[in-house]
Amino acid sequence: MTAQSRVAAVVGVGHSDWVADWHRVRAGKRPDDSYGYAATAFRNALADANMTRDQIDGLIVGPTTAYERMAEVLAMNVRWGDQADAVLSVVQACMAIETGRADVVALVYGNDQRSVGTQYGGPQAMGGDAFLSYIYHAPWGMTSQGALYALMFRRFSELYGVTERDLGQVAVAQREGSARNPHAIQRKLITLDDYMAAPYITEPLRLFDYCLINDGGVALIIAEAGLARKLSPHPVYIEAIGRYDLNTGATSLEPRLQDFYRPAQQAVAEQIFGQSGLDPSDIDVLQVYDSFSVHVPLALEGYGYCGVGESGRFMAEQGIGLAGQLPTNTSGGHLSESYMQGWNHQIECVRQARGVCGARQIEGCRRVHYTSDVAGKAVSVIYGT
Amino acid sequence: MQTQTTPPRVLGLYDEPFWRMMAESGRMHLQCCTECSTWRYPPGPACPACLSPRADWTPVSGGGELLSWVTFHKQYLPAYPAPYNVIAVRLDEGPTIISNLVTPPQGPIIGQRVALTVVRMEDGVALPRFALAD
Ligand SMILES: [Zn+2]
Repeated sequence: MTAQSRVAAVVGVGHSDWVADWHRVRAGKRPDDSYGYAATAFRNALADANMTRDQIDGLIVGPTTAYERMAEVLAMNVRWGDQADAVLSVVQACMAIETGRADVVALVYGNDQRSVGTQYGGPQAMGGDAFLSYIYHAPWGMTSQGALYALMFRRFSELYGVTERDLGQVAVAQREGSARNPHAIQRKLITLDDYMAAPYITEPLRLFDYCLINDGGVALIIAEAGLARKLSPHPVYIEAIGRYDLNTGATSLEPRLQDFYRPAQQAVAEQIFGQSGLDPSDIDVLQVYDSFSVHVPLALEGYGYCGVGESGRFMAEQGIGLAGQLPTNTSGGHLSESYMQGWNHQIECVRQARGVCGARQIEGCRRVHYTSDVAGKAVSVIYGT
Repeated sequence: MQTQTTPPRVLGLYDEPFWRMMAESGRMHLQCCTECSTWRYPPGPACPACLSPRADWTPVSGGGELLSWVTFHKQYLPAYPAPYNVIAVRLDEGPTIISNLVTPPQGPIIGQRVALTVVRMEDGVALPRFALAD
């Protein structure tokens, strides 16, 4: 059985004030906790959708808060509920709607990672419960998720000749978007020379290859398509979803180092382009989960936007900036807008498709492809008008 | 000078023999499937090739190929002042292991042969590392 296209649509998006909270946390304040950020985002999503809470009958909560407490804070009794990361929340919402388990699903996420000092490397590194590779190699000093991508990029670079300067195109292009995005935390334009002059963190990756760490929340409201047309003047449909996981050899990083996740992305490309009847040339904007810049060239190759080993040339010549052939992470993404673990990308997908991005709007944008490949789990959504 | 503690090992039921045999024999042993001879790393309860639970702890040859390497310029752990390196090695037996090169890596060395050497850490932990083979 093939999943149907356009059975659900996003009717509301909301988020906390990432910029204001960034400055408050830097000043030593603790503006809110994860639940509070999520509640703020949810209120904003309801307002954006012009809806009330009692119109919602399904709830999906992000991985950084407890499902029950989140639902209790929002005082939501629902006929269907789940917990998932950003992109899988969208997938689960579509599946719940397609199978009649819910008609309108709220997706809420909150994270106080900056103000509570969540560690992504070192003796207190988080994530080992989900991904053994994050902690297993600590006796050898292998810690920090950035180092995993540094190891991946070194081999990729040497096999295919994609250089460190080529990789710098990602950070430079994303600042073009964030510079024109009032919700972005880092808005200063940078050049390739700035990129190259920044210090290495784990060589070959530099400062600008790493994402921000900040507090905040995101919420989305997804409704059954017929209902969405009644509820919203600008529903953004989910055209296709796809997933493929590479798990064999994951702890010792084999899916990263042998295949650069490519087989998973190729399998997902077949699913999403097959389901939607589209191909890569129909995509107007690409959004890539970018905990590190390295995700971007790998996605360009894995999904067929360019050939294997050609991502360096593609980024330099065709371009991934606002005026490029394939504008990518137009909000600034995790590197420059906000590190909401894939959630802020969903908002940017919706805003680009609605055409409300102001100075960073990609003219005539109709279809946006979001993809994440965290630890070899490739998942994609195509959003469309 | 204070003795530096080796960063924490994951010590599950199947990891314990790996580290104990390393310390006792000075050699790296891995589980080798009794049914189909597939090698297993990290240690675990089932063969990735045939799902058999049966395995024999067998010494590896110590040879391998360098898959990748990085240099940490930021210190995360007391036992590892920056700069220090981390490498990925594909063992001749098949599995990939994350480790260190005993000399600072330089230049295009991916694909070169490496040889296992067991290093005794300050706190007594026996740690498998690698040297570039001649
Ligand atoms: Zn076997």
